[in-house]
Amino acid sequence: MIPDDLLAVVEHHGQAVARGEDRAVLADFRQDRIGQLVASARPPREMNAAQVLGVEPGPVEGQYTAHIRYTGAGGDEAIFRSRWIFVDDAWRVTNVRNVPDTPPRWPDPEPDQLEAAHWQGLERGELRLQHCPACGTWIWAPRPICPTCHRARPLWEEVEPHGTVFAWTRTWQPFDPVVTGHLPYVVVNVELAGAGGRRLMGVLLDGDRADVRIGTTVHGEFDNGLLRWRLEAA
Amino acid sequence: MSGFQGAAAVVGAANTPLHKRGTSAKTSLELTLEAILAAAEDAGVDPHDIDGFSSYAADDNEGLAVGAALGVREIRWSTLVWGGGGGGVSAAVNAAAAAVASGQAEMVAVYRGLSEADAGRQSYRKGHLGPLYGAHGMLVPAQVCALRTQRMIEVDGVPAEALEALVAAAYHHAQTNPAAVAYGKPLDPAVYADSRMISEPLRLYDCSRENDGAGAVLVTTAERARRLRRPPAYVLSAVQGSGPGWFESAENEDTYTSAGFHPAMVERLWRGAGIGPGDVDVVQVYENFSGPAVASLIDLGLVPPGPDATKVLHRDNLLAPHGALPLNTAGGNLAEGFVHGIGLVVEAVRQIQGRSPNQVPGAAISLLLGGPMAPLVSATLFGSAATLS
Repeated sequence: MIPDDLLAVVEHHGQAVARGEDRAVLADFRQDRIGQLVASARPPREMNAAQVLGVEPGPVEGQYTAHIRYTGAGGDEAIFRSRWIFVDDAWRVTNVRNVPDTPPRWPDPEPDQLEAAHWQGLERGELRLQHCPACGTWIWAPRPICPTCHRARPLWEEVEPHGTVFAWTRTWQPFDPVVTGHLPYVVVNVELAGAGGRRLMGVLLDGDRADVRIGTTVHGEFDNGLLRWRLEAA
Repeated sequence: MSGFQGAAAVVGAANTPLHKRGTSAKTSLELTLEAILAAAEDAGVDPHDIDGFSSYAADDNEGLAVGAALGVREIRWSTLVWGGGGGGVSAAVNAAAAAVASGQAEMVAVYRGLSEADAGRQSYRKGHLGPLYGAHGMLVPAQVCALRTQRMIEVDGVPAEALEALVAAAYHHAQTNPAAVAYGKPLDPAVYADSRMISEPLRLYDCSRENDGAGAVLVTTAERARRLRRPPAYVLSAVQGSGPGWFESAENEDTYTSAGFHPAMVERLWRGAGIGPGDVDVVQVYENFSGPAVASLIDLGLVPPGPDATKVLHRDNLLAPHGALPLNTAGGNLAEGFVHGIGLVVEAVRQIQGRSPNQVPGAAISLLLGGPMAPLVSATLFGSAATLS
């Protein structure tokens, strides 16, 4: 059962967003997190139309989920998924994101010279970490010499992109405009199975739906010079 | 006993007023000078007599420039502790204490000033996170500390309530500190629980937020300290550093849920003062975020690890004057204000001087912890005159 007044509010909200009526839009947001909500989702260019695709109860008690498709003059479109709760005497958005979820991409990582072989490997679809041929130490982050035996210039060895989640966080705060449209996203710190326990960070694909647990197995997927991670099906 | 054995002491301590970030018209240098002049007045020292300067966190204001602006008679010594963030806060005090104890200087100002007017936005993340982080959307220290805190909760079993207790204590203490940014803004537990997520498991109130402001303390020899007007806060023991497999490892630290105070370092801190964790009267623990502060207290042996953490970390136990472990008694970075932790130094000293806004009666041993979950960590044990006999 969807409250009638909520359906009207969602419809009105969609139209206000499409018309760029900022005051009306902001009034629909939870007032303690307007900045976070405004910068979470990315609209299409020259947005001029909205269509409510559906409103359903959940995912938790007292919450409702709306999907609204926004369309731009040039044909761009974006679907926003907003979660609504009744708070401060009104239906308000408590979080919003673009769906489907896509990973953020830093435009220009400007890698350190020491890391160049790692990034070049990823461009070719290979995961490469430093490994000392003299003493066998796996080295990460990269170092100019082996910290165990001090041999100069450790070699770069290919490693299977496979491991377990050692730590994770789901980030909601728009710390930089480049993550707008991808929030919230999950970053995992992965303990690699084939590199002496060395750990590598990366974005978890489909993190929006993921019930992430430390210890879960993950596989890497190459994505235009970056390594992303995906939970192994249970 | 080794360590400083009271050869150096803090004799004056002051903060400028703390402003919401970006709202002070003053530059960080102007704020820094204001804080140093206030610390000199607190100590009853002629600012022209300051002959050394020490700071940390990649402070933009070089000691030489600060000394020139003050028109000091001579600069005998100055230094900047390497490493970004709050890890160097105690180390900057320790360096000053080493300088006066070894006769290289006599009156050293330890300072930190922040102002968006000249430092720009997000100076806290300066030099922190390279492409191995940024390429994966890891943009700020909050996310690094969130990763580690999540493991501390999920694997070590530290209850999330331990984090909340630390936050609640900070806000409680701020209510009697008119200088605190959270003064008059008590934190309702329901508001904490319902506050927006920043990076799981850290919510808004688990995170410190920058202020425009500055703080400073003056460090001098024990001999000179005894002739000044405030009760000296003697440096009993001091450590800084980074354990094995710790420094800048792109999240490959061996002891990942530690704050970075490894066992050998902690042992040196206690041995330097000839005391143990049970002797500490009051703690100022750097809280970039609540989780790392909890990890610091566990590292130091002040709080049991794992599920038992809440046996010590429950709100009432952390409150001055009667809690067993009163901490962040002026509100800390979270609730007094964030200038890279310099306010925690000022408060650690005020407890020994007997003029904290939440005084622990008869506080004789005051512990300052800087860093946590950062490449560099540091700690200082301050003691009253009574602790030297």
